[in-house]
Amino acid sequence: MADALRMFPRARIPYGTWGSSYFPAWQTSALAEVNIGQFAGEAMNRILGLRKVPRTELGSLVIGSTIPWHWKFWNAPLVASCLGHRVPGYHVEQACATGLQATLLAGAEIETQAHDVVGVLTFDRTSDSPVGVFPERRAHVRTQAISDVWDNFGFDPATGNAMMAAAGLTARKYGVERSEVDDVAFLRYQQYFEAKESGFLDRVLVPLDVLNVAGRPLGRIDDDFGVRKMSLGAMRAMNELDTCVTGGTQTHASDGMACLMVTTKERVADLSPRPEIDIEFVAKAESRTDPSLMPEAPAFAVRELLERTGLTMDDMAVVKNHNPFAVNDVVFRKVLDYDWAKMNRTGCPLVWGHPQGPTLTRVVIEALEEAVDLGGGYVLVFGCAAGDVGIAAVLRVS
Amino acid sequence: MIKAMRETTLETIGLGKVIDIFRDGRLPVGPGQAVDRVFGDASERGSMVISGASGIVGAGKTMQLGSRLAPYDIKVVALDFPGAPDGIGQQYQGLARAFGREGADAIMRNIIRLSYDGRRLPDELTGFRPRFLLEAIPEILELKRAHYKLFRDTFPEIEIRSVTSGFPSSELGVGVAHPAFPHEINKIWEVVEDEPSAITQLLWALGMIPVAVADNWSFVLDVLFCGVTLAASRYGTATNMPAWKIDKFTRKLVGPNPLRAHDAIGTKGATFLTWSCLHHLAEMYGPLFEPTAEIAERKETGRSWYPPNHFRPLVDWSMDAEQSEEFEHWILGPLFQMTSLMLHEQRGHLTHINAIGELCAQFRRGILAVIREAGTQRVVDTVEAYHRLHPAAREAAWHPEAFEAIGGADWQQLYVNAEHDGSIGVVTISRESMNDDVDRELNRAFDWLRAEGIENLILTGDFHLSTQMVGADTSAIYPSLEDVDEGVRLTKTWSSTARRLDSDFATTVGFIGGKRCLGGMLELIVHCDHLVAVDDARFGFPEVTLPIVPGVEGCHWTIRKSPPAGRAKVLRMLLTGQEVKARDAVGWLIDHAGPIDEALRTAWDLANGRGDGIATRELERGAFDLAIEVGELPEAGSPATETARAAIAACARDACGTDLGEALDVQCRHAAEFIASKSCRKGVIGTDYTKTMKI
Repeated sequence: MADALRMFPRARIPYGTWGSSYFPAWQTSALAEVNIGQFAGEAMNRILGLRKVPRTELGSLVIGSTIPWHWKFWNAPLVASCLGHRVPGYHVEQACATGLQATLLAGAEIETQAHDVVGVLTFDRTSDSPVGVFPERRAHVRTQAISDVWDNFGFDPATGNAMMAAAGLTARKYGVERSEVDDVAFLRYQQYFEAKESGFLDRVLVPLDVLNVAGRPLGRIDDDFGVRKMSLGAMRAMNELDTCVTGGTQTHASDGMACLMVTTKERVADLSPRPEIDIEFVAKAESRTDPSLMPEAPAFAVRELLERTGLTMDDMAVVKNHNPFAVNDVVFRKVLDYDWAKMNRTGCPLVWGHPQGPTLTRVVIEALEEAVDLGGGYVLVFGCAAGDVGIAAVLRVS
Repeated sequence: MIKAMRETTLETIGLGKVIDIFRDGRLPVGPGQAVDRVFGDASERGSMVISGASGIVGAGKTMQLGSRLAPYDIKVVALDFPGAPDGIGQQYQGLARAFGREGADAIMRNIIRLSYDGRRLPDELTGFRPRFLLEAIPEILELKRAHYKLFRDTFPEIEIRSVTSGFPSSELGVGVAHPAFPHEINKIWEVVEDEPSAITQLLWALGMIPVAVADNWSFVLDVLFCGVTLAASRYGTATNMPAWKIDKFTRKLVGPNPLRAHDAIGTKGATFLTWSCLHHLAEMYGPLFEPTAEIAERKETGRSWYPPNHFRPLVDWSMDAEQSEEFEHWILGPLFQMTSLMLHEQRGHLTHINAIGELCAQFRRGILAVIREAGTQRVVDTVEAYHRLHPAAREAAWHPEAFEAIGGADWQQLYVNAEHDGSIGVVTISRESMNDDVDRELNRAFDWLRAEGIENLILTGDFHLSTQMVGADTSAIYPSLEDVDEGVRLTKTWSSTARRLDSDFATTVGFIGGKRCLGGMLELIVHCDHLVAVDDARFGFPEVTLPIVPGVEGCHWTIRKSPPAGRAKVLRMLLTGQEVKARDAVGWLIDHAGPIDEALRTAWDLANGRGDGIATRELERGAFDLAIEVGELPEAGSPATETARAAIAACARDACGTDLGEALDVQCRHAAEFIASKSCRKGVIGTDYTKTMKI
């Protein structure tokens, strides 16, 4: 591959050093009870242990989360302490783009030779999100209290609209048919359960046992709790909450963590169980679209990315996205003329939920595993984020 | 001509054989005599100096020795820098708990605190006539040597011992008396000296446990404790498993929580000592002992091994069978290899090497007992598997030939010894609690005496390692909590061993020379024809409080052995767990109680068939109706205790209601069924089992 198509020529993602928790729906598991920053640190340590990667290999940690957690001020160094290895690091946040941005920033850390091995650790707990109290002297309500997850879902201060309204507005803009949206959502469920039953997800997801303060079992996180098989009939029968948006065609809040490592080409052999697999950073693009049209933003980001790299959708071995609304995938078809049936073959956030920070990290990991199964190739990962933003990146597995 | 199965441990500190104690009718050295030899007689009493007295070791030993020397008017001079944090004052509450406020005040009055600057001794020290310096200053060789010179220049006759945890005597130029944590109560001292000295015998006479070890780096305790710490740390480095969970698995496997222990003692200081020990061992013996980067880091930063309370662990760790096997290799491999080195260097009596881990480092079973049970091949395989995981350890300090003698008496009798003079046999138990190891060794001792034609024996503690007999080792009961058949096997096996005291010898005498004899050990020893005790020894059956039903025939043999008038007292002991002093138990539980010399002579006389004037309690071998009134019992305190009382009463009734032959099965069945019951599983033993083994 020409260097022009290498975003970070020094950086590599070592195969098989990654992992994710399952993403239980909010309020359905022991994750609703924990300090998610602590949990994420301990879980990454456990995952690295299972992958036989000594935590001491980490030189830095990029954490990503979007919902405030207890002692968040202490940031990545605190999470690293919970992981058991005192390394420096920092926090990155861009709503549901966080996981991909954190991965790319880790690549930049390697590229700039700041570190040889950088951990990417993303996490969020939507359950029992904190309530912030903001003294606002210029507001007629002198003090505002905001429940971090639900109040933000319901109100984009830049537009005054809810997330769901953005999905409806975009569906109307593109003349999206409800029946196609239901078909997409139904297929996505089928894809997820097929991947699950095939054992594919076992390579990505790690069951984790959570303890209470007394050291006794609080719960085992060994499933994407809350996800159940859906029939097409049931999908079609659901009430519409906005245009083409139903309970079945939108994602749900969940809790979880996901992590991976980024290192130099030379260090891959020290870390990966299959160092012959080479995973490179190719390119990245971002776009921001018009107010309240968030579902179209990722398509624009992908279009820009293809234009810049000269790649086409046919070049992509794996296409996978963060799709909080099935509308996203239909709009993507309309903009890129790409068959949505070829996307998200092992599942996607529409089905397994939306813990925000780690969402795209799990998407990246699943996409890379899928590419390895296919013998390599370009991997396109993209998604939307709050603020009518789209992000896209291409990785290459060879 | 006295014969013994193996060397008696007392001989290693110059105190002869146990049988001689009975033959002579007195202890080899009394405390007053030992004090005179070290500090001079009452007219010219000298003093003891403890330097570094404000530190953890110094303060603990100031309390321990101060309380024991106060009755002999020996001043303890506590020496330290003027700015040293007060470690002695912190000990006062503990003293008050042990001795009462008046006693504690008296002990503290006997402690003279002096400050010095490290270069010149305080002038007033001369007035106290120092005779014995116990040095507990920091582990810096040059500092220690200068310290000794300072004392020797001023007090040429002074005896010096270092508490060092690592430096050999040959490097220090003084003898070593290395105590074990926790210093205010642990009685073990590893001593290094050319010949058994008056100092060592003083420690013994004051009720402590001096253990002779060879002059090597880090002695035995620190090799084992630092070794298991290193193994745990290495495993964490290799697998990322956090310290708290490694500790749990280590505890399940061998007993200690080595990493927690460092935090409990004080992470920085304790980890420094561990690092120092390992560092010197690595210099001497190679990579087997090389401290991990984590140990090196924590001794500098003092960062605790366990997370702080507000970050109590959230994510649990488990192991499958393959990982468990690998964990065993990581932990046992280096421990076995280190033990091979200690055996190769003949660092001590095998009983001592084995016992030190149990008495000072929380090992559930001594390392040699573990090796013995595993067998040579498995031990070698384990070490070799460890070498595959950590190849550097293969380079040096591996002596598999050290396990070749595993079939010999030194290996086979780690806990029990037997001596005889051609007529009387003395069987000594060196472990305070009963387990399968002790049971098997007792049988071998009985077999040996029988083969030697010995008809009469005395069963006793060893006057050295076992200063009391506390009953069954509760960890031996763990497998029976979930398996009635295992409970039956355990109780029947131990009871059958105990019955040999009744059936295999013409005369058997149980001797209790320590503070107490409780539970399973009391059940064992009551099978002797006669029981003799020092008069302040205490007896009891605490089983009901655990709760458990006594399993070594305590529910009927003790009653059968008691005259009818005493049976209610025995049953009351069983139902309440209340203890009784020896002097109050004569005639119904024991046969004689008296001062130590008198008790020793009486035991010897009884064993020789010269028990004139001592009434013998006959054993009721037939069935009888146990319809006796024990009077009003104190509140049980819990439903579990109430249940246990009923079970013990039923066991006693049923076992006494059959003849002696059938009673064994009846007793064992009752005990085994109760052990496997919910009451026991929810009790002390069950809780401990869950905490230790179900992780």
